[in-house]
Amino acid sequence: MRALEPWVEQPLMTFLTESEARLTLLMTSAGQVVAQHGFTRAVDIMSAAALGAAIVSSTEEMARVLGVRPFRALTHQGESHGIFLSAFETPRGRWIGLVVYGQDTSLGLVQLFFDRMVDELTQGVPAEGGTKQVLAQDFESELHSSLRALFGR
Amino acid sequence: MSLVNFTAREITCKIVYYGPGRSGKTSNLQYIYGRVPQDRRGKMVSLATASDRTLFFDFLPIDLGSISGFTTKFQLYTVPGQVYYNATRKLVLQGADGVVFVADSQARRFDENMESLQNLQENLLAEGTDIRDMPLVYQYNKQDLPADLIMSPSELDDALNFRSVRSFSSDCLHGSGVFETLKGVSELVLQKLAAGAPA
Repeated sequence: MRALEPWVEQPLMTFLTESEARLTLLMTSAGQVVAQHGFTRAVDIMSAAALGAAIVSSTEEMARVLGVRPFRALTHQGESHGIFLSAFETPRGRWIGLVVYGQDTSLGLVQLFFDRMVDELTQGVPAEGGTKQVLAQDFESELHSSLRALFGR
Repeated sequence: MSLVNFTAREITCKIVYYGPGRSGKTSNLQYIYGRVPQDRRGKMVSLATASDRTLFFDFLPIDLGSISGFTTKFQLYTVPGQVYYNATRKLVLQGADGVVFVADSQARRFDENMESLQNLQENLLAEGTDIRDMPLVYQYNKQDLPADLIMSPSELDDALNFRSVRSFSSDCLHGSGVFETLKGVSELVLQKLAAGAPA
């Protein structure tokens, strides 16, 4: 499991243990990964997050067009795996959970423990600090050499 | 919005390629995908129609490596250029850290360029972002076409580049200008990030 901030780890771990989900991604509404469990390559996680965020955004927009309240959760049931997607508000903004589960659990259990995790996450958010310097002043020279190494020019 | 993980020392930024239909946004990503080493890029995700026109977006994650001690990743998105896909364009634009406006240099496509640029401005504004605050570069694509069919980079600068930001000539099918553009927008995005981020 990998989490952007330590306070996310415990609620996510409890959810994984209780729900027996196989893969779980927590992301911002723009598709930036906040925490994940079960994926192996970082770049594949980003693809899954981009697709998950797109599904949620397009469904919310569809609800707006239809003049109905946003759908609380979305599920896709496959032959051996199911996908559960749900957006929720946190003091850090709107987040999305994407859960892939197998036949050893059920949609109902996933939803039940997902809701509990959301409660724990929203209650456990620590206060944000001020601003912090992110990159050193000479970051541009490192960026240039990094881009040169990557793109060969 | 850039996501900065101080614990794992990671930065993730979202860059959106915007512009009119068939200006070359997807071709930019395809060229980048083909040239970046496999261990530094993810799979390219394309949500396209049967005729390969972008329906929702193309997505390509790339790993820039370590910059100032932060593992830096960029998520490159394209939007569908066709006018009637504005709802999906808005969704893709959410949370963008930088924009590449890919203009079609053909003189006959000038109106579409203008329309798309105005649309970018409107959609950013709808998200509460002034286009003047968004890291933005222009790419004038298809500069390889015969001179009598296209507008020159200086003519396009005069017509489109109201902020006098950096612009790049390109022929993205063959790669000219593609990495220069990406490098240009990357610098702007990281410069903005260097000014400070939430702790």
